[in-house]
Amino acid sequence: MDHEISKKLEGKSGVEFWRSLEELADTEEFRTYLTEEFPRQSRPLSLEIDRRRFLILMGGALAMAGLTGCRFLPQQKIVPYVNSPEDVVPGLPLYYATGTTLSGYGVGLVATSNMGRPIKIDGNSKHPSSLGGSDPITQASILNMYDPDRSQTVTNQGRKSDWKSFTDAMSNQLSAYSVSGGEGMRLLTETVASPTLKAQIDDFLKLYPNARWHQYEPINRDSERAGGLIAYGRDVHPVYHFDKADRILSIGADFLGTMAGHTRYALDFANGRRLRTGSSRMNRLYCVESSPTITGAMADHKLALKPSDLYHFALGLASKMGVISQSIALPTSIASWVEAVMKDMVQFHGKSAVVIGDEQPPEMHALGYAMNEALGSFGKTLDLINPIQEGYEDHVKSLKSLTDDMMSGKVSALFIVGGNPAYNAPSNIDFSAVLTKLSTAKNLTVHLSNYRDETSILCQWHIPETHFLEAWGDTRGHDGTLTPIQPLIQPLFDSHSAYELLSVLSGKSMGGYDIVHDQWKSMLRTDHFETDFNLALNDGLVRNSSYAPLKLALRNGWEKEIHLNLFYPAGELEVLFRSDPSAWDGDYGNNSWMQELPKPISKIVWDNPIYVSPNTARKLEVAENDVVSLSLQGRTVTGPISVTPGHADGCVTLFLGYGRTKGGKVCEGRGYNAYLLRSSQAMWQSGGLSITNTGGTHQLVSVRVHYSMEGRDVAHMGTLAQFLLNPQLVGEQTVHENNPGTSLNPQKRGVKSDEYAWAMSIDTNVCVGCNACVTACQAENNIPVVGREQVALGREMHWIRIDTYYNGAPENPNMVFEPIPCMQCEDAPCEPVCPVGATVHSKDGLNQQVYNRCVGTRYCSHNCPYKVRRFNFYKYSAGQPNHAPGEYDNPIMQLLANPDVTIRGRGVMEKCTYCVQRINRAKINAQLQDREVRDGEIVTACQSACPTKAIVFGNLNDPNSGVSQLKAEPQDFSLLGELNTRPRTTYLPRVRNVNPEIPPSMGV
Amino acid sequence: MKMRMDILENQPVETKRDALLEGEQTLETVTHKVSSIVFEWNKHPRAWYVSLLVAFAFLGALTVGVAWLFYKGVGVWGINIPVGWGLAIVNFEWWMAIGQSLLLLSAGLLLMRQQWRKSISRILESTAIFAVMCAGIFPILHLGRPWVFYWLMPLGPNILGLWPQFRSPLVWDVFAMSTFMVVATLYWYMGLIPDIACLRDRTKNPTVQIITGVLALGWRGSARHWRRYQTAYYIVAGLCVAMTISAYSFVSFDFAMSIIPGWHSTFLPVFYVAGAIFEGVAIALTIIIPLRAWYGLQSYITDVHIDWLSKYLLGSNMVIVYGYFAEAFYTWYGGDKYEKLVLRNQMFGHYAPLFWIMMACNLIAPLILWSPRLRRNITIVFIVSIFVNLGMWLERFISLITSLSRSYIPSTWGFYTPSIWEIAVFIGSIGLFLFLMCLFVRFIPLMSLTELKTLLANDEGGKNHSR
Repeated sequence: MDHEISKKLEGKSGVEFWRSLEELADTEEFRTYLTEEFPRQSRPLSLEIDRRRFLILMGGALAMAGLTGCRFLPQQKIVPYVNSPEDVVPGLPLYYATGTTLSGYGVGLVATSNMGRPIKIDGNSKHPSSLGGSDPITQASILNMYDPDRSQTVTNQGRKSDWKSFTDAMSNQLSAYSVSGGEGMRLLTETVASPTLKAQIDDFLKLYPNARWHQYEPINRDSERAGGLIAYGRDVHPVYHFDKADRILSIGADFLGTMAGHTRYALDFANGRRLRTGSSRMNRLYCVESSPTITGAMADHKLALKPSDLYHFALGLASKMGVISQSIALPTSIASWVEAVMKDMVQFHGKSAVVIGDEQPPEMHALGYAMNEALGSFGKTLDLINPIQEGYEDHVKSLKSLTDDMMSGKVSALFIVGGNPAYNAPSNIDFSAVLTKLSTAKNLTVHLSNYRDETSILCQWHIPETHFLEAWGDTRGHDGTLTPIQPLIQPLFDSHSAYELLSVLSGKSMGGYDIVHDQWKSMLRTDHFETDFNLALNDGLVRNSSYAPLKLALRNGWEKEIHLNLFYPAGELEVLFRSDPSAWDGDYGNNSWMQELPKPISKIVWDNPIYVSPNTARKLEVAENDVVSLSLQGRTVTGPISVTPGHADGCVTLFLGYGRTKGGKVCEGRGYNAYLLRSSQAMWQSGGLSITNTGGTHQLVSVRVHYSMEGRDVAHMGTLAQFLLNPQLVGEQTVHENNPGTSLNPQKRGVKSDEYAWAMSIDTNVCVGCNACVTACQAENNIPVVGREQVALGREMHWIRIDTYYNGAPENPNMVFEPIPCMQCEDAPCEPVCPVGATVHSKDGLNQQVYNRCVGTRYCSHNCPYKVRRFNFYKYSAGQPNHAPGEYDNPIMQLLANPDVTIRGRGVMEKCTYCVQRINRAKINAQLQDREVRDGEIVTACQSACPTKAIVFGNLNDPNSGVSQLKAEPQDFSLLGELNTRPRTTYLPRVRNVNPEIPPSMGV
Repeated sequence: MKMRMDILENQPVETKRDALLEGEQTLETVTHKVSSIVFEWNKHPRAWYVSLLVAFAFLGALTVGVAWLFYKGVGVWGINIPVGWGLAIVNFEWWMAIGQSLLLLSAGLLLMRQQWRKSISRILESTAIFAVMCAGIFPILHLGRPWVFYWLMPLGPNILGLWPQFRSPLVWDVFAMSTFMVVATLYWYMGLIPDIACLRDRTKNPTVQIITGVLALGWRGSARHWRRYQTAYYIVAGLCVAMTISAYSFVSFDFAMSIIPGWHSTFLPVFYVAGAIFEGVAIALTIIIPLRAWYGLQSYITDVHIDWLSKYLLGSNMVIVYGYFAEAFYTWYGGDKYEKLVLRNQMFGHYAPLFWIMMACNLIAPLILWSPRLRRNITIVFIVSIFVNLGMWLERFISLITSLSRSYIPSTWGFYTPSIWEIAVFIGSIGLFLFLMCLFVRFIPLMSLTELKTLLANDEGGKNHSR
C-alpha cells in the first residue's frame, strides 16, 4: 500500500487532506467500503426527475410519514402494574427473609423492599445468629449492591465481554479437560458455608477427578481448627451461651464485635446484665486482650497484655486451674489478678465460660477447651459442634500448595470463585506474581468477584458476582442453622453467582433458583418439600437445623503439644493483625458508609491507623499521626500512628483491609496495606517487629478530639454494689445538681393523656458500642456520606453518634459508650431561636425539622446542648463538594434511597426524627384498624439494629409500655437534666460488676 | 438653641489656642474649604485615589468571595458543628458596633451640647451608616440558603403565608437593623439639608443644581425653617440615642438569649454596648486622623478634638476593664462549672494567644493615653486606635468562638479555623466601607457647614450683618 500511496502523491501539489491511509491510496477496497458504509454520499441523487417520478416519490414519502404514527414500540419491559404483582401495594414496603455470609459464617437477615427495590437490611428475629439485631457491616452491606463502582460487565483480557461469550468459551475450553479428567484444573474458593455450593464443588470434582479444590480467605478459622486438632484430634467449633454464664473470661476474644455469632452473643451477654428493679442478676466479664476492642470496653475488669504475655497468661491460668501439669510462674504484677479471676470463675462452676479469640494461636484454643472442661462449661455455657463450614481445610496450607502447583506449571486452568487473593494472600506466598505468570502464559484464569479488583485484573476472565440480594443461595449460621438466601431483585448488572459459575463449569448452566431448589430437595428429604422449602424461605431458616452438641473428651497427650513459648522471631516489639472494623478484610473497603463510620473507640474514619499504647509510644518516641515504617522479616509497611489508651504495651496493632490498589474509587489508595507484613507463619501476631519514625505525618481524621468527661455529668457510671444499695446512687455526686428544682415559671405545656408521647430509653449498661445503630440510621434516613475532608472539618452527618468516654489511667481506662440521638426535648432550646420557625414541636412530642422552611442560620445547632443537629454545608446528597461517594444523584444510588424520607438539599439543618416515617406508618395502620398504636409496633431504625436491645422506644403516656417502665426505674437519668430541657430520650447508667478481690489499681 | 443669623459676614475671627477652630476663619473660608472638597474633585489628594484603588481591590475580593460562596455553598467557610457561626457573625457584630456607637456618639454629644462634636459629626454619622451597611451583608451571606433571606422579614401572611418566628433573636436583629437604618439615615439626612442647600446655591453646574435642589427639599434658611429644623433635629437625635443602645443590645441578644455557657448572661448587653462605644471611639480616631491630614483640615478638626476623643477612649476603656473583671468575678461567684470552663478556656485554651493579644489591645494599649503628652501625639493616638480596633474584633471573635467550641458535652467539642473565603469576605467588607467613604468624601460635605458656622458665632458674639 505504501507503494500505492507514494504513487498517488506523486504529481500532486498543494494541501491535500486525508483521513486515513486507505483514503489516500484510494484503492478499490476503500471505494467499496465507502459505498457500503455511506451509500448516499457515494451515489449522488439524480436530479433528473419527471412529473411521474416526482408524484411517486411524494406519494411514497407521505405514506411513510403516515406510517411513523403507528410505528412499533421498542421491545422494552415496562412495569405498568396493570396486573399488580401479588402483595405489592405502592408505598408500602415488603419484608423478605434472606441471609448473607461473612468470612464463612451465615447471618439471617430480613430485607425491606419498596416497590421492588431493597432499601434496608436488618437481622432476622427468628435466626439464632442474630435474633433481630445486626452489626454495622450487615447494615452497610446493602450499599455494596448499589455501589456505582461495582463491576458491571464480564471482561475478557480487560475487554468488555458478556456472559454468553464466557459460557461459550467455557464449553469450548472445558471439553479438552474432560478427557484428562481435569488435569491442571484448580478451583479456589473462600470459606464455603453453603451446602449447595459444596455439593456443586463435589459434582465438579466428580466430573474432573484430577482437578483440585483450594480455599483461602484472609480471615479464617485455621487457628480454631488447629486448636481443635490439638485438644480433640478433630475440627470443632465452640458455640457459647452467654446468657447462661455468670462469669466470663475473654482471652483476646472480641465476641461482641467480630467473632462469629457476635450479634447473638452480644444479646446473650446483655441479657445477663440488664439491671432492673427487682432483678439484679449481672454477669461479670473479665477481658484480657492486646488491642482494645468493644469487648474489652464492656469488661468489668480488663488487662492489656501483649500477645506473648497473653499466651503466658493463658498458660498461667491453666496451670493454676490444674488443667496442665507444668507450673507456670506468672509475673507478680498480674499474679494476684489471675488468682482472683480464677477463684471467681471456679466458684461459678458450670456458670462460667472461657472464650478464646479466633486470632489466638491454636495452643490457646486447646487450653481454652481444657479450662472450660475444668469449669464444667460444656453443655451449659458452651457447646462444641462440628464446624459449620463445608470441607474446611487449612487455608494457608491450601493456598500455599496451590501457589506451589502454579509455580511448577501443574496448573493450566484456575477458577477463583470470590475472594481477592492477589491482594490479601500472606506476603510470603507471592500469589499475585504467580497468577500474573499463569495468565500471561495463555492458561485459563477466571475470577468471580463483586469488584474488578487486584485479582481480577490479573485474570483473563472477570465475572461480576451478584450481591446476596440478587441471587439464590444458602449458608449456615454460627450454630449450623441452615439459612436460605433469596434474592429481592434481578441482578442490576450482568452479574452471576458462584452457584451459576460452578454450574457452568460442570457443564450444566442452571439458574440459581433451580440449583438451590434441587439441592435442598435432596438435602431436606421431607415428604412435603415444597411446603417446607417455602416455610424455610418465609422464616429465613430451616427450623431446628442447628448442629447437635458433640460429646468429646480431651485427647490423651494433648498437653504435649502445648509449647511454653510462642515461636516468634526475636525482637522486643510484637505486632498484631486485626480485621478492620470498617473495611473488614478489604471486602467493605469500597463501602463509603463503613468508611465514614467512626471506628469503635478510636472514632477514626476513612483510614486504618497503627495502634500503639501511650507508654510504648513514649518509648518509641512516636506521637499521634506520625508516619512510621514498620518492618518484619525484611518486609516493610508505612502508616500513621494512633496512640490508643487501653492498648497493651510492647506491641502494635495493624488493621487489614486498606492500601487497596484496585477495587473502587473509595478504597483505592487509602491507608496502608497490612497484608504486606502478614506471613503464613504469623497470620495474626508475631514478634520481631522494628519501627522507625519516617518523620512524616499523616493527619488521622477522628470525629472527636475529646475523651474526658471534664468532671461533667454526661454519662453516669457506678458499681453493682452502689446500685444494690440505692439505684439512684449510680453517678450519685451529680444527682442533686441534676435536679432543676421547682420552676418559678411552671410549664403549661403538658402531655395530654389522649395523645401519644414518644420517648426513648437507652441502656448504657448494655450498649456495646458496636455502631450498628449509626449505620442503620444512615440507611433508613438517606444520610449522605461527606468524605474524609469534611469529617476533618467537623461536618459529619450521622444523626446518632456513639460518644465514648474514658476514665481512669490511660494505660487501662474504663470506657463507657453513650449513643446520642436527638433528645427530643420537651422544652427544646433549638425551637425558640429559629427565626423562621423551621423547627417546631409536634403534639406527640417530636421536635420536628421542616427542611423546606429552613434557611440555615445554624442557630438551632448552637442552642442544642447535645449538638445532635447536622447541617448540609454543601449539597452532600449530591456528592458535593468533592464528588464524595454515596451521592443520591447517582441513578443507581437513587434506588437505595428510602422513599419515605426526604433527600435534604444544601443549606438546611437536619437531625434525628425518631424515625417519624415509621411512627406515622404505624399510626396510619392503627387508625385504619380503629385502635391505638400498640407498644412495640413502632421500632426505630437504631432500635431494630441494636444487637443488645439497649434502645427502647414507645409511648410515654402508656404506663405499661416498655419505655415507661424503663423510665420509671430509679436509676434513669436525663443527659444535662439540669438545663431543664426535659429530654424525651433518657438513659440508664453504666454499672460495673466489680470483683472486690481485685485491687482498683489492677486493671480496674 | 437659638440660631445666630448675625455673623454671616466675611470678617476674620481671632481664635484662641485650644480652640475648636484654628487659624483665621470666616464664614467664607469655612464654606469654601468644605464645599471645595466636593466641587474641586480634581484636587483630591493622592491618598483618595489610592484609597479608591484599594477599595476596588478589596471589593474584588468581596465579589469573588461571595460568588464562590453562592455557587458552592456555605461549606466553603471554615464553620462546622459545633462552631456554626464564624467570621461572618464576628464581622457582623464588629461592624454593627461601629455603626451603633458612632451614631450614639454624634447624637449623644448633640444632646449634651458638646461644641467639639460639630466638626466631626458628619464623619461620625456617615461612617455609622456605612458600617451598618457593611454589617448588613453578613447575616444574609451566612445563611445556608441566602436566596430566601427575606423569610426573616415580617412580610406577613399575604406575601409569604407565614410570619417569622418572633421569639428568635435573629428576627429581632432584622428589626434592630432596619430601625437603625431608617433612623440613622433620617438623622444624617436632616443634618445634611442646609449644607445641600448651600451646595445648591454655590454650584454652577445645572445638573448638580437640579440634584441638590431636589435633595435640599426647598430649604431657604428662613428663621422659621431653622426653628423647626432644630426641634426636629433634637428629637431625632434623642431617638438615635435610645435606638442605638437598644439596637446593639438586640445584637447581643443573639448570644445572651441562647443557653450556651459564656453567652447566656444578663450582663452581656451592657458589656456589648460599652464595648461598642469603646470600639466606636477608636474607629472615629482611625478615620478622622488620616482624613484630617489628607485634606488639611487641622484648623477644623483640631488637636482638641483628638484630645477629647482620646479622653472618651480612656473613659470607655475603664468601663471595659470593669466589664472584664466583673465577668470574671461573676463567673467565679456564680460557680457554674460550664461558665468557669469557658473562662478558663478563653485564658488558657486553644485560642488563649488571641485572648492575651486582645487583653493587650483593649486593656493595656489605651492606658498610655493617660499621659497628656502622649495623648497629643497624633501618631501614637492613631496607633492606639488601631490596637483597639483589633482588640475589639478579637473580643467578638473570642466570645463567639470559644463559647461555641467548648459547650456542654465534651465529645462535641471542636475547633474553628477561618477559611480563605471568609477572610475574603471580611476584607471585602472593609473594601465596601472604604469605597463608600471615598464616595462620601467626594460627594458630600465632609463637615457640617451649619454646625461649623455656629462655632464662629459662639466664638465672636457676632455682629448684626446680613447677606
